Amino acid sequence: MTEVLPDAQPADTRQAETEPRYGVGERRKRFDALGRVRGTIRYTGDEANPPGTAFVGVHRSTAPHARIVAVHTEDALAVEGVLAVVTGRDLYEVLGDRIYTGPAFADQPCLAVDKTRFVGEAIAAVLATDPDTARAAADEIAVEYEELPPVYDIDDALRGEAFVHEELRPSSVFADLAHLRGVRGTNVNYEYRQILGDAAAEHERAATTVTATTWAPPTHHVPIELPSTSAWVDSGRLEMLSTTQTPSYVRQTVSDLLDIPLSQVRIMTRPLGGSFGCKMYDRLEPLAAALAWTTGRRVRIDATREDAFLLTTRHGARVTGSMSADADGNIVAVTSDVRYDTGAFADVGPRIAAKSGLVAPGPYRIAAVDVRSRCIYTNKVSAGPFRGFGVPQVTWSHETLIDELARELGEDPYRFRRRHLLREGDIATVGTKMHSADFLTCIDEVTRAVGWDDPTPEGDGRWVHGKGVAVGMKAVLTPTIANATLNLNQDGSATLLISTVDMGQGSDTIMSQIVGEVLSLDSRRIHVVRADTDATPYDTITAGSRSTYHTGNAVRLVAEAMRNKLLGFAAERWGVPAEELVLDAQGVVHEAKELRGSLSDLVRAKFGARGATVTTAENFTSWWVPYDHDTGLSEKVTEHWFAGAAAVRLAVDIWTGRIRTQHLAIAGDVGRAINPTLVEQQLTGAAIMGIGHTLFDEMVFDQGQITNATMLDYQLPSIKDLPEKLTPVIVESAHRDGPFGAKGVGETTILPIAPAYAGAVRDACGVRITTLPLTPERVLNHLADAADPGKAGR
Amino acid sequence: MNEITLDVNGTPYKVAVEDTTLLLDALRRRVGVTSAREGCGVGACGACTVLAEGRSVSSCLAVAVRYDGTPLTTADGLPEDDPVVSSFVDSDAMQCGYCIPGFVLMTKELLSENRSPSDEEISDHLEGNICRCATYPEIIKAVRLAAKRSAT
Repeated sequence: MTEVLPDAQPADTRQAETEPRYGVGERRKRFDALGRVRGTIRYTGDEANPPGTAFVGVHRSTAPHARIVAVHTEDALAVEGVLAVVTGRDLYEVLGDRIYTGPAFADQPCLAVDKTRFVGEAIAAVLATDPDTARAAADEIAVEYEELPPVYDIDDALRGEAFVHEELRPSSVFADLAHLRGVRGTNVNYEYRQILGDAAAEHERAATTVTATTWAPPTHHVPIELPSTSAWVDSGRLEMLSTTQTPSYVRQTVSDLLDIPLSQVRIMTRPLGGSFGCKMYDRLEPLAAALAWTTGRRVRIDATREDAFLLTTRHGARVTGSMSADADGNIVAVTSDVRYDTGAFADVGPRIAAKSGLVAPGPYRIAAVDVRSRCIYTNKVSAGPFRGFGVPQVTWSHETLIDELARELGEDPYRFRRRHLLREGDIATVGTKMHSADFLTCIDEVTRAVGWDDPTPEGDGRWVHGKGVAVGMKAVLTPTIANATLNLNQDGSATLLISTVDMGQGSDTIMSQIVGEVLSLDSRRIHVVRADTDATPYDTITAGSRSTYHTGNAVRLVAEAMRNKLLGFAAERWGVPAEELVLDAQGVVHEAKELRGSLSDLVRAKFGARGATVTTAENFTSWWVPYDHDTGLSEKVTEHWFAGAAAVRLAVDIWTGRIRTQHLAIAGDVGRAINPTLVEQQLTGAAIMGIGHTLFDEMVFDQGQITNATMLDYQLPSIKDLPEKLTPVIVESAHRDGPFGAKGVGETTILPIAPAYAGAVRDACGVRITTLPLTPERVLNHLADAADPGKAGR
Repeated sequence: MNEITLDVNGTPYKVAVEDTTLLLDALRRRVGVTSAREGCGVGACGACTVLAEGRSVSSCLAVAVRYDGTPLTTADGLPEDDPVVSSFVDSDAMQCGYCIPGFVLMTKELLSENRSPSDEEISDHLEGNICRCATYPEIIKAVRLAAKRSAT
């Protein structure tokens, strides 16, 4: 029996019983796949410019470190079409020290005020009627500099003869950095230590020790969509549309910058055309907001590719590490000195130094560790977050060490790792008990995929063959906050409001699958609203692979709250206890009394109106135990771990140094794959990006200046760099608190790629390369050095 | 200023351009095309690809006046049931999607010249387009599928 509705209108029957649901675990397509293929979805830069928009051109510093004596703007102002020229000093007159922003340290002025700290820093902005005029006029600005001693790299910085910043300025964002305020005479803005046992004594007693100094260069994200920001003032409110992964953060930053309430700032987003970490925290937004606020004009800043290279990078990092084993082959000690080059601004480098430094020893059972991880200022482009958040750099070190240690002991690199890898319930060196970090299955699966125990081809005298394996371990960003609001529409569809930004990872699609699973709805009937701080609730950031777990949990909770609310409607209507009701694909059912009502009917009956909505809101906040100040240990340093592995079979051309990838297998433990297709794309996408970092992709600096900041010079993996065979493996070791057991995956397989390749090169031709990338020239140099033992490896 | 006619997906648009106006800027700012995009400004990424009389052009390097009256195709002008479009959709050949229209048009060009390309011919033809999400395995699948669909 189906309940007869009280009104005479026919029930909405659009939700057919046979519709597929596309819930959790299903390979649903992106809802906007056709729009992405035909190019009809609108990204930020596709939005039209209203008449009166002022386009911004930026004049950039030509000095790496200099006091700004004078900025001559007259010639730029004289250019036809120029509306205004604004210098850092002009903005400082209005904003004062609030001009300095940044997530960890308030050290980034949106226009340099008194001194410039890198070649390419923004010095002055031109507002003009069209972008070409703005850029041309920016070239007419002349700046007088008084040069200061430059700090080109971490060695210069640690010598402490010249300082990038006179004193440290922790921002108000992270309370734990407050004690660094006002510290002078250093380029080290943060240091993390991890001390477990007595590593020095264990090294001393050990039977075997290997030591290596590794270098991972700065690299750039190069999403194909260029950054773009528009800002305008609407009745005293500052509104922006921007390419950002962090709308909630930007809202707070702009509110602080302009000293106006949060409610007077609105940040809107569109889907991002890729980001990988470069469109977050303070990029173009503070400058756009300051210009719109101070001039009253609607402004638009479109970065060119050359500009984009100057906005942020991945940290170059040098790691000096040692790993020791006792006579039985147990790992007794790891020591690691990690130095991250953060460039002119700390950005989120201090967090990287700590949260990536904490995994510097690797995911192994180790008796004693001593980690020193530092974030260091230099006069170069600022480094910030980039897929992997500093962990690829330390993985490059610990996987190099354990590979060499295995070889030193005459053991198989796979089986040696396997014996020592952390297992469920083990305590990681940082002090946290492991859960749902299935390194063993990951390493077993990738080695099985490449046929680890199959014989390696003989080679032909020119091409030599080898195999390599590595693992990667990363903590998810913790603690963070996620909120979700859900509107169930009277027609049985739903609208989900979250501030997670879809930048290609497919979050809009999987979040609707979670709602669909809980409410037994076809997930294609659930629309996800793009982050807009006027409408969508606070979310810490979309980064660090945290959204599936954090926002996913908020979304699961909000859908469960909706289910309970709808059951309550039916219970009230039918006069039965809500506990006796269930929600299935046809709606709410009371089995015993044979009562049934579709969601559409229930909402209609409750409100007596078509088009009504029912709203629920929920929060999910993760927690941690802050690490001990002296030892860096914590019993819960993170909400969950990422575990991944890569195995590769490759051939090295010993005539030219070229590397050919025959088979790359990668695996990531995702807890539970909410959408296996999207998970596989993240696994392979991260791995191929990792191939670029391994073989050729790097930013080259000459006296602080980037020399390859165009896409003609900066090499990225093309379709021709695909391995001959590529095998992604999804490992599902459910997390007890994840939404349906799920956790994120976006960074997992970028971590182990470089060391797996270097291990394979070592296997193929006997040379251990510790400097990335593994360019043909570098391979040849090592081969030549190996042939001539008198020379050291380069 | 020159008044030229940009013939985009069969519709003529009269637009005023300078001698130096780039085809990409004319298409985006004057015609309202969203599927051709600037990614590098130096012809190295393929995001700005359009077809001129069926041949691929990096519109970030081309001046608009040269294309006065030339039939131009942009990805948003392709129908939903175009075999290349449907093959990209069915192969999940997109992540962020920003570069994908360029790959779609390169595939149109490839299949017009070679109805059943080998995998090597596919990657040779698409090598100049960069997908930073590295959707390459799915793109190759999509091109193979499009070749099959175009043949029938």
